Amino acid sequence: MSGIYVVIEERDGRASRISWEAVAAGQKLATLAGQTVNAIVLGAQTEAIAAEVAAKAFAKVVRIEHPLLAAYTADGFTLALQQFIESDKPDYVVFPHTYQVRDYAPKLAARLGQVLIGDVTGFGDGPVFTRQLMQGRLNGSYRPTGNGPCFVSVQAGAFRADETQPGAAAISTFTPTIEPAQIRTKPSERFRGAAQTVDLGSAQLIVGVGRGIKDAANIPIAQDLATALGAELGASRPICDNGWLPMERQIGSSGQTISPKLYIAVGISGAIQHLVGIKGSQCVVAINKDADAPIFEAADYGIVGDLMEVVPALTEAVKAAQ
Amino acid sequence: MKIIVAIKQVPERDAQIRIDTAGKWIEESGLQYALNESDAYALEEALQLKEKHGGEVVVLTAGPERVGPTIREALAKGADRAIHIDCADLGSRDALGVARLLAAALKPEAPDLVLTGLQSDDLGQGQTGVILAELLGLPHSSLILHVDKTDSGLTVKRELEEGWFQNIDLPTPAVLTIQSGGNKLRYATLMGIKRAKTKEVRTVPASELAVDSTLVAVLERVSLPQKQKSTQILPGNPKEAAAALVEKLKFEARVL
Amino acid sequence: MLLLNATLSEPQHFSLVEKLLLVLFVAASAAGFWLRFRVVLDKILKSKKDANFHLFPIGKRIWDFIWEVALQAKVIRQRPLPGLAHALVFWGFCAFVLVTTNHFAVGLGLGFLNPAGVFGRFYTYFAAVFALGCAVGIFGLFVRRFLVRPRWFGKKLSWESGFIAFLIFLLMVTYLASFFVADADPAARVLWWVHTLALLTFLPIIPHTKHLHLVLSPFTVFFSRGGFSQIPALVGDEDFGLIAGTDLTRLVSLQAYSCVECGRCTEHCPAANTGKLLNPKEIILGLRGYLNDLGPASEEPLLGKYNPQEAPFQCTTCGSCEFQCPVGIEHLPILVGLRRGAVNTGAWEDEYGSKLFLALERGANAHGIAASERDKFVEKAGLPIFDGTQEYCLWLGCMGGYDPKGREIITDFARIMRYLGTSFGVLRKEKCCGDPVRRLGNDLVFQQLAESNLEAFEQSKVKKVVSICPHCVRTLQEDWKEFGTPPPVEHHSEFLARFAGKLPSRSAVQSSEGAGGFNPRNTADGHAGPLAPASPETIVYHDPCYLGRYRNVYDEPRTVIQLSGQLVEAPRSHARSFCCGAGGGLVFLGEETGERVSKVRAAELVATGATTIGTACPFCNSMFRDALAEIGDSAPQLLDIAQLTARALPKNDVG
Repeated sequence: MSGIYVVIEERDGRASRISWEAVAAGQKLATLAGQTVNAIVLGAQTEAIAAEVAAKAFAKVVRIEHPLLAAYTADGFTLALQQFIESDKPDYVVFPHTYQVRDYAPKLAARLGQVLIGDVTGFGDGPVFTRQLMQGRLNGSYRPTGNGPCFVSVQAGAFRADETQPGAAAISTFTPTIEPAQIRTKPSERFRGAAQTVDLGSAQLIVGVGRGIKDAANIPIAQDLATALGAELGASRPICDNGWLPMERQIGSSGQTISPKLYIAVGISGAIQHLVGIKGSQCVVAINKDADAPIFEAADYGIVGDLMEVVPALTEAVKAAQ
Repeated sequence: MKIIVAIKQVPERDAQIRIDTAGKWIEESGLQYALNESDAYALEEALQLKEKHGGEVVVLTAGPERVGPTIREALAKGADRAIHIDCADLGSRDALGVARLLAAALKPEAPDLVLTGLQSDDLGQGQTGVILAELLGLPHSSLILHVDKTDSGLTVKRELEEGWFQNIDLPTPAVLTIQSGGNKLRYATLMGIKRAKTKEVRTVPASELAVDSTLVAVLERVSLPQKQKSTQILPGNPKEAAAALVEKLKFEARVL
Repeated sequence: MLLLNATLSEPQHFSLVEKLLLVLFVAASAAGFWLRFRVVLDKILKSKKDANFHLFPIGKRIWDFIWEVALQAKVIRQRPLPGLAHALVFWGFCAFVLVTTNHFAVGLGLGFLNPAGVFGRFYTYFAAVFALGCAVGIFGLFVRRFLVRPRWFGKKLSWESGFIAFLIFLLMVTYLASFFVADADPAARVLWWVHTLALLTFLPIIPHTKHLHLVLSPFTVFFSRGGFSQIPALVGDEDFGLIAGTDLTRLVSLQAYSCVECGRCTEHCPAANTGKLLNPKEIILGLRGYLNDLGPASEEPLLGKYNPQEAPFQCTTCGSCEFQCPVGIEHLPILVGLRRGAVNTGAWEDEYGSKLFLALERGANAHGIAASERDKFVEKAGLPIFDGTQEYCLWLGCMGGYDPKGREIITDFARIMRYLGTSFGVLRKEKCCGDPVRRLGNDLVFQQLAESNLEAFEQSKVKKVVSICPHCVRTLQEDWKEFGTPPPVEHHSEFLARFAGKLPSRSAVQSSEGAGGFNPRNTADGHAGPLAPASPETIVYHDPCYLGRYRNVYDEPRTVIQLSGQLVEAPRSHARSFCCGAGGGLVFLGEETGERVSKVRAAELVATGATTIGTACPFCNSMFRDALAEIGDSAPQLLDIAQLTARALPKNDVG
């Protein structure tokens, strides 16, 4: 019984929110499996983040430190974790399911003859882990059957970060052996996409405005919501035809096709041209005063009401939740 | 450049989902199949690299006989030849097992670059490419939107969370997993399909590849999620409805 | 009095020199004609043979020839006054055959028509009437071309047309003048020689100009493809459409050389009328220019220098061009052929086009929406599933299955069918009929869709199909024939018209809420009574291209409309109807450049002052909906004929 280790991912010098969700998952798993739960931080300078993490209920926090771990690389992180796992032999290694984890955890698992059970949304006795298949339309239960550590990554939002237990953990250090020649990829500084052009096609959060806005002077109401969400502003065709918003913001079959995580349709009735443009959205919210508007058929959530009242209320609610 | 693109044939995106009698997978009769979406982008990236730098694009896929049309579609779009690992039990292998099959078929080809899609539309593990890199001992990077050939290898554009991107340099040979949306896909043309008739498709039975297929993770059963697909209308006055909506978006839909 | 006594003068004696000169001139003229005509004939005959051409049944060909060529029916009907003028010129030419033959015989001293004899006098007078008509006609046409200058003739003045008009005029005038001089008069000889030289000058000019249609157009009309918008099947593994000269077939080449540049095709083209690049006349003349410069054996691309690639892709396939053409040019197979050449080879790179093709490659419908959405609608609307026992298979189509408005039309039509007691069902799964990819020239996807759908029909034992969409009707009934045998398909207007006697009509009801219920003027057995003359609901009917020109259905929708209100005609209606802009796959492509076709047509319909616009096609409905949205709340109502009819059904109809 060598325990559960949760790998903490760093964001701007601190543990990222989704890492805390992984911690909550790890702690639940520990209770289920009757094991201790520990944390791992990786990097070139991990003292501060280790201290932050140690304030939670872990048996210990391991600082895996090496200069070559300053920037994330798959080779570096895999080597470091491999050596640690071979020495401490944990039963479970729990990750947050981030882009970074997807880049190295499968490699690490394969190197140790295992496979990553990724993007898990829950688990039960066994343990048996649940993950989504067929783009969320099917759930699958996975049971690890290998001899060796079980690697699991946890979906964002599946566990609640505020459910982590506080504590005081012991901190230890592990120094892996890594040669420069073993790091084969050279990452550069991260950068943002071009800011000047409107690219609704790649925006993750979008607020769309339709004829229900009634007047160009009311558009700022929707813009405020978009700003609060960090979203882009789009529009249905009549708004752009009237010149209230530029044509690049038109969402529809003859304008932009969008595929955001979240699309909020404000005062849009839902003609087919618009529906075609938004069908790639993960989650659609519709706000319209006509309960029979076709947009509601395409929406996951809806509010039937006057957008002049609902939208400002929503903006406030969004701000409050941040 | 010799580029191998590993593609997968998956059930059509809006296929009707019914659980089979064993409860371990979905009912396959009556399903339509198509090329996995991010694999189409991987293929497109490979074809564009070939158009720019010359070379050969080979598609590799594992699956039963029904993957034929998907292979032909890839050939019609411009791939030069195909390798089909004839495997009727793909679904009962884990990600490691599948990657072992692909690696065994790939190795003798000694490619400069291996591309896979980011993840499959059915299982969605997103691991095959990364495991392949490990098995082949090659450097890799994932979530790639764009590939450029340089004198020392490749420079690739990788997608990070929340609208950030990063360029990565790596040597060839290498493995990349390609994210959807980086390119405009080309459509299959009549001319392409006619020309595909004469392109080589080499079939290799999975049994011939002698790989270790011991399972390290088992998909025990599948079930339908309880979440209903109908629209949730949030009641109450604007303030109440707004608050309820934010709660749902944060914790149910998990998009905020 | 003078006229009745006059006879046509014939110079009696031609010297040997004159005779030799005549022979020489005739030979030279004929040689001049043949020198050029041979080249044209060669280009046509060296073009690829048309694999799908069938001479039989020949009855229709003969009839078309009589109607369109001999009787000049199309020429006159589509542009009455100029058409009549042209008909007079043509008939004049026909009437002159004997006269002209005799004229030359006279020159050799072998005249056989005695102008003083009974037959001779009758015939020369007969010809004189035509000559007068012809002279007036050609004069009128000259005035039209050079003074009135209709804009679809183009900006350049055609001096060759002027010269030929002059020659024709001269021929007629010299003939008529010959009645007023005596045989022995030197003036007679002068007139004779002027007439001769005019004719001999005219002859070699013919094959160099658009007047080639004199020789070719009777053949062009006779050798038509056999139906409106007949898109030929591709032949063999190397045929991808019209890419280069080697792809041009004999029919296409014949048609290209027959163009008279009248511009009737352009006059009615929705693209040309809204500032697009596409000009149907220029497409045909571009092919002619290509043939002249490069010939039918060239591998140079047809699109590029002679016509920009963009142009054919602006075509809505409305068919006005082909419908209007007086010389039998079939524009639609040519436009689709050019598109095929670009699409089947992947040369056409268009963001929206690719999206459409990819959506149909992978999934079921042209919008790229999940097929489960259609299933949801079918269930919600309570539409029965077709199980082989019902009379009709109700085909939803991509609009009926996925568009909110299309769904309303389906729901209303289903109500009507239930009211009438007609059994029907909808297929469990439908794939797009393939109309947009067929018209855009993607034969790969079209074949996949047609074959898949035909198989589904066979498996489900579909016997009869009814659809709310003229595009589906056309594609199912005609285009699918290339891959199998579709069952009979009809449009819902044809269905409704057949049952018009059983459907209730509305009286002076303006809105859908409140009224419902029977027209109290219905007779006891449910037949619609006569409509009140002062009914305030006026409905302007827009003829869809694919129902009107493509299927010749004009009266049935009108019968149905008249059950609901007072029918109003748009200025351009029936076969002259102006496209809504959606066809040819264009509704799935990006935003148009220039003025929007839908806006132009919507404005025309609104200007009639009708309270309601009646449509019979879900695409027309969708296009006008957007166009009317800009007008705002004062816009007329927009309703499909099914919706108009369903309003009068009793509210408690069987569910």
